[in-house]
Amino acid sequence: MYRYDTLDKEFLADRALEFRQQVARRLAGEITEDQFKPIRLMNGLYLQLHAYMLRIAIPYGTLTSTKLRKLAYIARTYDKGYGHFTTRTNLQLHWIKLKDAPEILDHLAEVEMHSMQTSGNVIRNITADPYAGATADELDDPRVWSEAIRQWSTLHPEFSFLPRKFKIAVTAAAKDRAATRIYDIGLAMRRGRDGELGFEVMVGGGLGRTPYLAATIREFLPTRHLLSYLEAILRVYNRHGRRDNIWKARIKVLVASLGAEEFARQVEEEWGKSDHSRVDLPDHELARIRASFAGTFETLPAASETLEARKAADPAFARFLRRNVHPHKAPGYAIVDISLKEPGETPGDITSEQMEVVADLGQRYSQDEIRVNYQQNLLLPHVKLEDLPAVYDALAAARLATPNIDLVSDIIACPGLDYCALANARAIPVAQQIAERFADPALAEEVGELRVKISGCINACGHHHVGNIGILGVDKKGEEFYQVTLGGSGEGDAALGQMLGPALPAAKVAEAVEQIVGVYLRERKDDERFLDTYRRTGVAPFKEAVYAEAH
Amino acid sequence: MKALTGNRLTDGEVVFWKAGAWVERFADADLFDDAAAAEAAEADAKAQRTVVVDPYLIDLVESSGLWAPLSFRERVRALGPTNHPHHGKQAEGGSAIEALQNAAGAARSSGRVKLIKR
Repeated sequence: MYRYDTLDKEFLADRALEFRQQVARRLAGEITEDQFKPIRLMNGLYLQLHAYMLRIAIPYGTLTSTKLRKLAYIARTYDKGYGHFTTRTNLQLHWIKLKDAPEILDHLAEVEMHSMQTSGNVIRNITADPYAGATADELDDPRVWSEAIRQWSTLHPEFSFLPRKFKIAVTAAAKDRAATRIYDIGLAMRRGRDGELGFEVMVGGGLGRTPYLAATIREFLPTRHLLSYLEAILRVYNRHGRRDNIWKARIKVLVASLGAEEFARQVEEEWGKSDHSRVDLPDHELARIRASFAGTFETLPAASETLEARKAADPAFARFLRRNVHPHKAPGYAIVDISLKEPGETPGDITSEQMEVVADLGQRYSQDEIRVNYQQNLLLPHVKLEDLPAVYDALAAARLATPNIDLVSDIIACPGLDYCALANARAIPVAQQIAERFADPALAEEVGELRVKISGCINACGHHHVGNIGILGVDKKGEEFYQVTLGGSGEGDAALGQMLGPALPAAKVAEAVEQIVGVYLRERKDDERFLDTYRRTGVAPFKEAVYAEAH
Repeated sequence: MKALTGNRLTDGEVVFWKAGAWVERFADADLFDDAAAAEAAEADAKAQRTVVVDPYLIDLVESSGLWAPLSFRERVRALGPTNHPHHGKQAEGGSAIEALQNAAGAARSSGRVKLIKR
């Protein structure tokens, strides 16, 4: 884990003090709401339906036990004892008071955290492969590069007033677990023919009103030039991005209108003009960052008798192993997914008590590391196989051992109209109704991998465009309706979903998902995933099942 | 019929206009059947810049013999999130809360449209 140096700590303390003074001036009437709003947003503080919402940055989704315990404390002391993890791997607290916000920022600063880069037209919090440093299929640790981007981008003066928000995702593994194709910039590490490491640079992805998958503008950028190349991309965007129309201001619209080839040409031209050494990280600084992510693993046998015995005796534990436990690069270790999707609960929500359980487990069993992924779940990245029974028992006691990772009940849902000022419809109750229909773990496992993603408005925080089943809440004369899309994917085989048919009333959505799953189970061949079957059959049989009554 | 609502500056709490001040319960809010009086109250409310953020008028509908916000969004604001029935104003329960929960009106929040246009 990267640790702040003295400079970082002083900066953060200054920043928290500055915000304290800004809040005081607002409360005293010395500045208006119009003047204050951009200031609070630059500190992640939104005003939503019921209260202020504070969005706390979790850089590349990495937490320590100290940080997670602090989040638990803040949620308990200043909120209602729970928080909500988002698809950007941040934590949202939905019941914050403005008058408490400065104190909360002080608490965050104590543990090297803040809420900058979680709002505003800036380079937002960086996301990365949640398996970083733990998976065998990575070429390098993406956190090293994510941290370099974080340091470079935080309060970058040239990029603090971009045409619109800007999001970057980084992966260094063959399998894309960071949804890089739906980001403003997606970076995927590749090995060149001579063995050198570089990034495939993808630009112009994004969901929202106008969804696009990112286009590759450079197949191979040597890693040492990452920052200067990012600077060139941002400069082209900053110069030509549409500031006149909020709906056309994201880089995806610029890339689409220029064409990826022309956009790439302009970036290369800009990059050619810059002095790379002024921006690119010197080797010694990169080495300093790298050292903070070096993991050490014991030499352990590749199997554990304790584990095998429990697995044989306990079907629930065996199911948890199948669904939530993944191979680690080091023999004798595993990556453990912690589902925040217990059927009936709010996707991504976690109580302070649960945060403390996970913090304790992370400290005791996972080298003091906890991760957040964009599916709104947590992970313990470095658990010894022999410790898995103890970890499972502790998770189960805290209702955190739901064995449904990547299954139909592991639903992404934004807060929707229950909390969000932008939403048109609720997302949470729809997710709850669907998950409850597949609450039987045997049924969910029988259905297999199926990613359901729900957004309460077209801004698409719930990634509905890339859901295998995507659900978008819309407002029809004040009533909640839901558009269903099928066939989307945010992973290596990224695709935007295709509309199933007319929007459905709220009461019909869970039933429709059940009908769609029914068609899949009827049509699937061998071990096809839902997505495979859909791609083979097309939308017709699904459409027929859902809209049969209407004919 | 209309009511006047906003979020309190210090804590973001949903509040409603009552005789020049703000109350937390919709049931205690002033109701306006006169458009001019409603707009005058809105103008007064907007002048209270250190008390409330972005006040706006909302349309109401009759429910169980009482009045309720016409738009679903405004009912969520007046009640609390539907995924946590014990959070927000709905936790108090009672007939006034039930009237809001049972209201069936449907329309976009007029206040919200104005805010977005702003």
